[in-house]
Amino acid sequence: MLNWIARDRVATLLLVTIAVLLAVGAAAPGFLAPSTATMIWSNGLVLMLIALGVFPVILTRNIDVSGGSVLGLSAVTLGLSLNAGFAMPVAIALTLGAGLAAGAVNGVLVAVLGVPSIVATLGTLGLFRGVMLIATGGEWIEELPETLKALGAKSIGGLSVMGLCTMVVIVAVWAFLRARRGRWVMVVGDNRAAARHLGLPVKRIEFLAFVWGGGMAALAGITFAAQIGFVPNQAGTGIELRAIAALVLGGISLLGGVGTVAGVVIGVIFFTSIDTALVFLKIPAYWNDLIGGAMLLTVLLIDGRLRIALEARDRAARYHRGEAPTPQSKTLEDAA
Amino acid sequence: MKKLILRWEVLLLALLALELIIFGMINPRFLRPSSLLFGTSDFVQVGIVAVPLTLVIIAGGIDVSFASTVGLCAITFGIANFFGLPLAASLTVGFATGALAGLLNATIIRLTRLQPLVVTLGSLYMFSGAATVLSGVVGANGYEGIGGFPAAFTGLGYAQMFGLPMPLFVFLCFSAVLLVLLHMTRFGRLVFQIGQNEDAARHSGMPVFRVQMWTYVLTGLAAALAGLLLSAYFGSARVDLGGATLLPAITAAVLGGASIYGGKGSVLGTIIATFVIGYLQQGLQMSGVPSQISSALSGALLVIVVAFRHGLALLSAIIPVRPGQTN
Repeated sequence: MLNWIARDRVATLLLVTIAVLLAVGAAAPGFLAPSTATMIWSNGLVLMLIALGVFPVILTRNIDVSGGSVLGLSAVTLGLSLNAGFAMPVAIALTLGAGLAAGAVNGVLVAVLGVPSIVATLGTLGLFRGVMLIATGGEWIEELPETLKALGAKSIGGLSVMGLCTMVVIVAVWAFLRARRGRWVMVVGDNRAAARHLGLPVKRIEFLAFVWGGGMAALAGITFAAQIGFVPNQAGTGIELRAIAALVLGGISLLGGVGTVAGVVIGVIFFTSIDTALVFLKIPAYWNDLIGGAMLLTVLLIDGRLRIALEARDRAARYHRGEAPTPQSKTLEDAA
Repeated sequence: MKKLILRWEVLLLALLALELIIFGMINPRFLRPSSLLFGTSDFVQVGIVAVPLTLVIIAGGIDVSFASTVGLCAITFGIANFFGLPLAASLTVGFATGALAGLLNATIIRLTRLQPLVVTLGSLYMFSGAATVLSGVVGANGYEGIGGFPAAFTGLGYAQMFGLPMPLFVFLCFSAVLLVLLHMTRFGRLVFQIGQNEDAARHSGMPVFRVQMWTYVLTGLAAALAGLLLSAYFGSARVDLGGATLLPAITAAVLGGASIYGGKGSVLGTIIATFVIGYLQQGLQMSGVPSQISSALSGALLVIVVAFRHGLALLSAIIPVRPGQTN
């Protein structure tokens, strides 16, 4: 049991999530309905996309905290180009371009110049937010066209277009990580020096991970603008930290090389369902951070202690095996 | 001599001087002693948290939770004051909150052996959540402040000490203490040694946990100090008082020469970097640049300076050094 909880983080978290949802359902009738499920999904879309973007970066043992600003920057790109009269596909292409370019800036800083990723992306977090504010002149972008809002509205089987896109992305990431080149990402994070000696293009992999993060943040920006219908100045502020917290909850190690897509999805869903459940329980929204933070710390504490206990047990077992022959040889000596 | 000139702190000082000269040419009013001196009240809280943060980073950790500890301590102080505790007792409550917050971080990091970034990220949320919930206790819902402080306390925010504004004076005293602590005591040596190689430090019997714990507790105390100064300065305790210190404080520590991998850094560098960042923001504002652009520029400053440092290291790795020139 202990083994299973520690080794299968995703299943544990899934069980905890289900337990929480059932408990909330018992307290607040009407919570356990299919409409809640689609609501949690659409509430968590932006967080999910950001988390999926940071995921490969963390797998390579780097970190990207600029996601929130890239989200804001690309949402503004989308809003400005739509309001300037560009067609929707062109505007979306421009937005994705902005996100990819922002990711490339991070990638160059980290992979080419060798700046520690936390420092580099902290800098670009301020930089991109500033560029965004310069572009808008500090004003909110409103009156976005209905065609954009349609992307965020529930249309196909209770899911929005962006919701379906996200599902496709999840499957794509899952498939990619199972492919040969996908394993390379894990290898780089697990042991960078070994990956280099194997002849993997380590720097290119790191660079591309950051570019992917930028692209996903742009997709999150599109989703954000589509769901909300306008772009405020503070669009996406703080979401990068929530995304990292969700990833950690889902068992993705910040030390690189360890993590699954299922973990990303369940971590994000856990965070979102707590927020949604609080609404149903009529707990004021200002409790969100306290409960979310306390839950994260509790999970980390339990998980960390379990891992340490397991390691200690494994080590004890190893020593035990090492000692085992001793009494035997002693009896042999006695016999002799 | 060459070694002195090439020291990072000297380069930073040159950067600061350059900055002051440029802004002075754009707007001569910027260089008036009174505006230089009293303008510091707007940014010294960044330095107050950045200096002990430097210690945390040198010892191989990182703390991002101080940003909400600032607000949390201000709120607990405000609540203690609200319930009629004498000023000294209220102040103690505020500082005790900060110390406990640091202790909690250090304990969880020790118990889970997880990366400090993850743990303090969790406490960043928890502390700001706790502050928001607590401020609801006395009826100051959401982001409204808790006010009604005695005049003796709010007067502190504007008091002067030896001709220096109170916040600046507190900052200089506090960082002087930490400067001595880090660079001239046994404790400081331990901080560096643990950051260089934690395992080696542990195997040679150094009190690794205790030293790291103290660095976190110091950061918590500094966050309380910053929160109380800001409450005195603004006349009210708010949850989001420290929100704007998160990035600048980490920027100041890194710009000041602290290595995010631990083992390197200096208090003096962080102090100078605080002024570089603070005067950059202020100078830009006085030159008529909107605040959004100034925030972009300080982000750019961090990126450029750090890229420059790493580019320099990269360059020196590529260009072969003549034998005898290596140190």
